[in-house]
Amino acid sequence: MLVVIALGFSMAIMISIPAGIVANQEATQSLTENYNSTISNMQEEINKTATLIECRTSSGRGMPQGRPPGMPFGPGQEEVFVNETVVNEIRSIEGVKDVVEFLEKSSEETTSETISTPRGDFTISRPLYTITGAPLNSSFIDNYSILPTDITSGRNLNEEDTGVILMSSNLTDYLEVGVGDNVEIYGESFTVVGIYESTSQSIMQARGVYMNIIEAQTITGNTGNVSRLDVYAEDVSDVDGIADVIEAAYSDLFVTTYKDRLENLERMQEMYETTVENAESTLSQTQTVATQEIIIAVGATSLIVLFFMLYAVRERTKEIGVLKAIGFSNWSVMSQFMLEGILMSLMAGVVGVVIGIVGAPFLSSLLLPSVNLFPTQQQRGFPGQTMNFGTTLSQSAAAAPDLQTILLAFGVAVLLGAFGSLYPAWRASRTSPMEALRYE
Amino acid sequence: MSDLVLETEKLDKIYKLEGREVRALSDVNLQVKKGDFISIMGPSGSGKTTLLNMLGCLDRPTHGKVILDGSDVTKVSEGSLYKIRRHKIGFIFQTFNLLPYLNAIENVELPMEGTKKSGDEKRKRARELLEMVGLSEREDHRPHRLSAGEQQRVAIARALANNPAIVLADEPTGNLDTKTKYEIVRLLGKLHIDQGTTIIMVTHDSHMASRAGRILFLSDGKLLAKEEKGKHFMEKPTCPNCGGEIQPDDTFCPRCGKRL
Repeated sequence: MLVVIALGFSMAIMISIPAGIVANQEATQSLTENYNSTISNMQEEINKTATLIECRTSSGRGMPQGRPPGMPFGPGQEEVFVNETVVNEIRSIEGVKDVVEFLEKSSEETTSETISTPRGDFTISRPLYTITGAPLNSSFIDNYSILPTDITSGRNLNEEDTGVILMSSNLTDYLEVGVGDNVEIYGESFTVVGIYESTSQSIMQARGVYMNIIEAQTITGNTGNVSRLDVYAEDVSDVDGIADVIEAAYSDLFVTTYKDRLENLERMQEMYETTVENAESTLSQTQTVATQEIIIAVGATSLIVLFFMLYAVRERTKEIGVLKAIGFSNWSVMSQFMLEGILMSLMAGVVGVVIGIVGAPFLSSLLLPSVNLFPTQQQRGFPGQTMNFGTTLSQSAAAAPDLQTILLAFGVAVLLGAFGSLYPAWRASRTSPMEALRYE
Repeated sequence: MSDLVLETEKLDKIYKLEGREVRALSDVNLQVKKGDFISIMGPSGSGKTTLLNMLGCLDRPTHGKVILDGSDVTKVSEGSLYKIRRHKIGFIFQTFNLLPYLNAIENVELPMEGTKKSGDEKRKRARELLEMVGLSEREDHRPHRLSAGEQQRVAIARALANNPAIVLADEPTGNLDTKTKYEIVRLLGKLHIDQGTTIIMVTHDSHMASRAGRILFLSDGKLLAKEEKGKHFMEKPTCPNCGGEIQPDDTFCPRCGKRL
């Protein structure tokens, strides 16, 4: 019985380790896929909006420097606004095709949330929601991407909508409201007409409210103010010139062009690659360790079977003598002992699978170094763009053995039982019946 | 076709012990007819068990032949000997050697493993045999729940399972009390008479040996020329001293009072 339990443990190790490896592999793979899709989405977005020059009144978004990692907003960052007369001034710059103005304003209410990371817990305080007031003008809506596109229920905002808002799904989830419900924003009641998908489940993801800019200006007391201007150039070749002019004329606007965005993307890509490389190198280390551990477990199992069966053969020498004296062939004595060895390791297999299922996550985290997938620095995307980067994969992915592994373990159990009892059984079959009978 | 079941020709067995040669058997010529009940007597170390091992194909002689049922078993390869052990020979041991984890009937079925008999046939044959040895009631008892005598009866039933040409019994009564000894020897005698079983029994107990039909003597590995006739065919056992009637399990003759 003890032997069976001991065997069971090494079986459990054999089951848990592949499960752990698979879990780590999957985690690494999904990380890589996640990064790749994020990068390619961003690339696409940048290509599509090559003529876009973004002007913001604060450096808060899109500029990662100066912000502690893990913080979506700088502490105590002020929201600055400029008067919308700037819009017409900029529109008159040569080469400018159009200017779309936005008002972005955070709610006064804040929520406090704790994020667990491998580097410790961060408690962040952030606005309950952020309003984006967009000009609901059909030429803007049709020609530029000024509103979220991924509507999951209800409808998008239409031209000259008033009294209605579009909410991100993470906000509707948080507030527990749906399409048709009324929500109070800055003291005014608005009806939710649609919900858009916030592309990430991350806690970092801004909870957004889109509404008519005129209403946004009114309720937040910012009549005539804007915080973001999307300047569209006639042609990509005009972008640099326009950006220079704007930067020179308006020192309180932070300007980014596709070049900045590409640069930013490159930085991000580098960081992604480092993270993926780290994960992969940890994974390959893990695999090496796992291979060694499996070899040890297999070796230990075979040895346990071998020694136990040798012991059993010795103990039962007399019985072997009797069996041979009454006419058992060498082959049937041998198969008898082989069968017993296999049966024993099958029983151990059952014990192992039970221990394995119950203890796999524990065993694999005990036996394997975990893959740290947490990015080295939190970064967020650009305005008008949602980033998926904040998703953190749990560092030691849950390792539950699947059916295949379990079946494999049984197969291995049978093989090892046969392998480990091969020599003892052969010895048993070769025993001289006369000597065996004399054995006490 | 002779009616010899077993014959040995110039059987020698030499063991090498620490470089020294020990002659365990020397020039043994034995002839066993079908239906014989032979006991071989001799002190311990005289080579009784060695001889039985040669006859039972458990060991090979150094020189000489063992002819069983017309064929020389010393020429049979090690790998095929089991067939001869299975079909031609039935072994009865001093220590019974039943398998402890099998019940009586399973122990009796054991030699039939690997034969062409179906499970039902084996069971039927084993029942017959247990009935023959008077243990029908005990077929599902494991050996530890049987008395020594009962265990030996199961062993006898097992020895007969494949209807062997010859039954070899190595000190079958060596581990039994006096009363049981007689029971067992009587049982062997009964099988001999009823079934015509050919039996060779090795013993150093003259009382037991005298129950056989022929008594042979082995000394220092040599079969002595002298041969005695046993009392086996007597209807009722009698006192060898006064000739008075005795019970098989009597230790002293009730008439003359001499030790039997």
